[in-house]
Amino acid sequence: MSRFMHIGRGLYGIWLREVMRAVRDRGQLIGGVSRPLIWLLILGIGLNPYFRGEVYGEVRFVIPYTYLQFLFPAVIVLNIMYTSIQFAVSVIWDREFGFLRAILISPVPRWIILLGKILGGSTVATGHGALVLILARFADITLSWDQVALALLLMFGLSFGLTSFGVILAARVRSFEGFGVFSNTIILPLYFCSSSIFPLDPSLTRAQTVALYPEWLVFLVEINPITYAVDALRGVLINFHQFDPRLGPMVIGGMTVVFFLSALFDFRRR
Amino acid sequence: MGTESANGIEITNLSHAFAGRTVLSNIDMSVPDGSSVALLGPNGAGKTTLMNILCALLTPDSGRVMLGEMDLARQPDAVRRKIGAVFQDPSLDTRLSAWENLDFHGLIYGLSRRERKRRAAEVLELVELDAWRDEIVRTFSGGMKRRLEIARALMHQPSILFLDEPTTGLDPQSRARIWSYLEGLRASDNLTQVITTHYVEEVEDHDYIYIIDQGRLIASGTPHELKSRHGTSMIRCLPRDATTEEELMAAYPEAMPLADGRIGITLGAGDMLDAFLGRFGARLRQIQIDEPSLATVFLALTGREIDQRTPGAPKKAAGVQ
Repeated sequence: MSRFMHIGRGLYGIWLREVMRAVRDRGQLIGGVSRPLIWLLILGIGLNPYFRGEVYGEVRFVIPYTYLQFLFPAVIVLNIMYTSIQFAVSVIWDREFGFLRAILISPVPRWIILLGKILGGSTVATGHGALVLILARFADITLSWDQVALALLLMFGLSFGLTSFGVILAARVRSFEGFGVFSNTIILPLYFCSSSIFPLDPSLTRAQTVALYPEWLVFLVEINPITYAVDALRGVLINFHQFDPRLGPMVIGGMTVVFFLSALFDFRRR
Repeated sequence: MGTESANGIEITNLSHAFAGRTVLSNIDMSVPDGSSVALLGPNGAGKTTLMNILCALLTPDSGRVMLGEMDLARQPDAVRRKIGAVFQDPSLDTRLSAWENLDFHGLIYGLSRRERKRRAAEVLELVELDAWRDEIVRTFSGGMKRRLEIARALMHQPSILFLDEPTTGLDPQSRARIWSYLEGLRASDNLTQVITTHYVEEVEDHDYIYIIDQGRLIASGTPHELKSRHGTSMIRCLPRDATTEEELMAAYPEAMPLADGRIGITLGAGDMLDAFLGRFGARLRQIQIDEPSLATVFLALTGREIDQRTPGAPKKAAGVQ
């Protein structure tokens, strides 16, 4: 029992430090607020009129939503992706500035150290995702509390998976400078290829979709796990799915387990 | 020195290699309960590796470490509760306040809220930082940071404290303060201390000294024992010209060239000094005779000088107000 208490305190301490640091980091907060504003208010409102493109009076896309509504869940995912993957910087920081050693000589088990850090990072990322939820009105989305709760649950799962992924990256990156470039080259392609800003129309057959888009792009979207995370959130927030609704939670769950276990494997080896 | 004490350390036949290069070789050491032991050696001697092993950060290739009754390899968690460490590189979170750093440390050692409050206040007072408890650590000077690290290492009331080069890069006042805290702790809390350093002046006050060079223990004893056993007076001289130097080296085969370009000759008994001065006295640019010190002990044992940077040279602004 007392051992359990000790470990619990250790986990809480490590989690708390991540959250405190994030709350004090102005730059990160500014990014977390400005990113959704730019994506929703500028890109979203700007492209809104073009979304249901009609060709000679024939409605091409049969998605019964505005572009803003369609984009909204994806912007939540974008904010989570940035914050989670940037979390690697905190891991590199601890390693480079020796803080990790001070934790490693404590009696806290290694997997608790990792879990505490990742839970902290996920909490922060979920928080940044939730900042986007506040803008729901702008996107003309009305949410009930159970929708919000379910969305937060999915967001937390996604954050946990991506934060673990960030930790795996951190183990392979030596410097902060390198990481900035690195993260952008990972986040944006994943985001763009997740059917976040354009739909693969589910009303079309696969043959039609491929006729509309080059096959390689469809392929990239379909193998991208982020696609299914975006799809899951769309399901909850605007009740629209492009894929089998069971896929989203399965992919998010799979990411959390696989990425956390590989991060743990990495961390134990060092 | 084989003391069977509760909080002492016994190291037996410890060896470790990194990528085939031997870093520590057959180290035997004993640290009695409540004593203060210094590991003296140049940079790269293997002191930090030894510290990492003692803190259970690194598993040695072979050998055994016992802390009291506990075997480090078998009960690393029990050992971790008993030890505190101050590393050579700073390891505070500079974006948190002094208090928050201590509170975090208390949490990872499983202290309750009440214990954390009590201990944090105690250790801050000990290192005279109570006035800075809510300041962000980034604003601290090097000396203040090091003092806070010592406070942090003491949060969970360890019975053994490891300090890896605790005064490197600090100004003389900060160094003096740190030594006085440590001395006080030894007296009041019976805290066992193991300190690594390459500053010979700093080890004189320790109970026992182990001299380590290239991963081997080359001598050990109390400062007094070491000096009387290995300490010799030494002539340091700078010959006027190359011919003198050659002649001098030929006349004293044990003479060794020192890092500063001078030549060191162990001063033997009898009228050696007279003979030396008679023959070379007029052909030297400089001459100096060193009394036995731990620096000459090291030189006599290894034929090399230990790192002789001036320890007092301030690296950063000394900020003890």
